[in-house]
Amino acid sequence: MRNFYTSVVEFRQPFTREVFTHPYETGWAREAIFFVTVEDCDCETIDLSVQIGPDGIRWMNEGNGIEQIAAPGEYFVRVAHFGGWLRLAGVISGGAETAQLTVRLALKE
Amino acid sequence: MKRAAAYPPGIERFDPLDQVLCYDDFNDGQAGWLDLRPNFVLPEFREHSREIDLTHWGPTMISSATFPFMGTHGAMSGTYSLKLSTRPTGDRHENPPAPGSMGLAIKRLATHRPLNHIQMEAWFTYTPEQDRFGIGDADVRAFGFFFDLQDAEHRWMPGIRYLNSANGELRKRWQYFRAADVTDAEWNYGHEGWHRRGVDSQWFGRRYADGSGDGFVWVPDGDHKLVFNESADKINWMYLRLLVDVPNRKYVEFQAMDRTFDLRGNAPTLAPVYESITGLINPVFFVETDTDRRVFLFVDSVVISVD
Repeated sequence: MRNFYTSVVEFRQPFTREVFTHPYETGWAREAIFFVTVEDCDCETIDLSVQIGPDGIRWMNEGNGIEQIAAPGEYFVRVAHFGGWLRLAGVISGGAETAQLTVRLALKE
Repeated sequence: MKRAAAYPPGIERFDPLDQVLCYDDFNDGQAGWLDLRPNFVLPEFREHSREIDLTHWGPTMISSATFPFMGTHGAMSGTYSLKLSTRPTGDRHENPPAPGSMGLAIKRLATHRPLNHIQMEAWFTYTPEQDRFGIGDADVRAFGFFFDLQDAEHRWMPGIRYLNSANGELRKRWQYFRAADVTDAEWNYGHEGWHRRGVDSQWFGRRYADGSGDGFVWVPDGDHKLVFNESADKINWMYLRLLVDVPNRKYVEFQAMDRTFDLRGNAPTLAPVYESITGLINPVFFVETDTDRRVFLFVDSVVISVD
C-alpha cells in the first residue's frame, strides 16, 4: 500500500500582491496535487505557479500552475517528478491586490 | 497469546518501560503525528479559541534534511525524520507567540490500562533554515515536548522546554511546565477563555524578556549546552527522555544527551477536567522561532512507553 499524506500548508492565509507558500518537503512522494481554496479576494486575477527546487531556498517554475483565477472557489493543479521540495508562487493583480488562500498539498508515494 | 521476541530495528537505542505504546521512526510515514490546530467548531468552521492566533503555525512534514551545501543529511535511521517547522514570524519573547512563530506536532492516544509511569524518548536535532550566512543558533528560540493528559479529576500537561535563545540572546537552559499563581484570565492574556490556568503552557501564560514565563519554571541546575554544530546544515542527533509519575501526577526526571535532571517532588499544574476527553494521552513536540526566520525541530524517532 502506498503512503499518502495531505498537509494544510497554508490555512486562511492573507496574501498581498505576491504568494509564496511554505516550502514543503516531498522527497518521499511521486505525485502531488495542490488544492487551492480562494476564501476571499479583493483583486481581478490570481496567477499561481508550481515551483520546485533543490533545497527549499532556491526556486524555479516547474511549468504547471493555475492561471487567471478571478473568483473565490476551489482550484487544483497536479504535479509529478518534482524532487524534494514544492511550493506555489503567485501574483495577485488588480483591486487591493489581496487574497486569502487555503492550500492543501496531497502527496502520494 | 504468545509474544514473539522480535524487536524492530533501531529500538536498542531506547530504554523503554515495560510496554511500548508506539515506536515511530518516520521512514514509513508520519505515523499519526500531525499539525496541532484548534477546534474548528464555530459557524463557518471558525476556531474555538482566539486569544492568540492558533491557526497559522508552520506545517509538519517528512524530511530528508536536505541543505544547500551539504546535500541530504538524512536521519539517524534511514533517510527520513519528522520535521516541525515555523514560519519566519518571530516576535519578542515578552509578547504572546506571534502567528506562525511555532510549529507543533501531536499524536492522539488514549489510556488502555492503569498506568504507573509514562515515558517519552526521542532522538532529535534542531536548526534554523539556511537562508542566510552565519551560525544562526540564536535564531532558534526554543523547542520542547509535553504530554496532554486527562484522568477522572484533572487535565494536566507535564512538559519540558529548552529555552535556547530569547530576543537574540543565547540562554540554553531547561524549563519545565508549571503555571504561576495567576488567574485563568491572566493565563489567557486578559480574556476569560477556553484555556484554563495550566493548560497549554506552550502558548499561554505571560512571557518575559529573559525567556521566562508564567507557564514555565527554570529547572534547577538547568543550564545545558546541547550540540549545535557550527553551521545551520550540520545536525547532530541527540537523545531526549521525559518520565512522568501518572497516579501521583508528578514529574520524575528527564534526560537530554547524557545529563539526567531530577524533577522528583515537582508537579505540573492540575486543571479541571474538560468535557469528553478523560483518558486522553496526547504527546506533543513544539519548536519556536526567535526572529524573522524559519526554524526546524527534526525527530528521527520517538518511543512512548508505559508501565
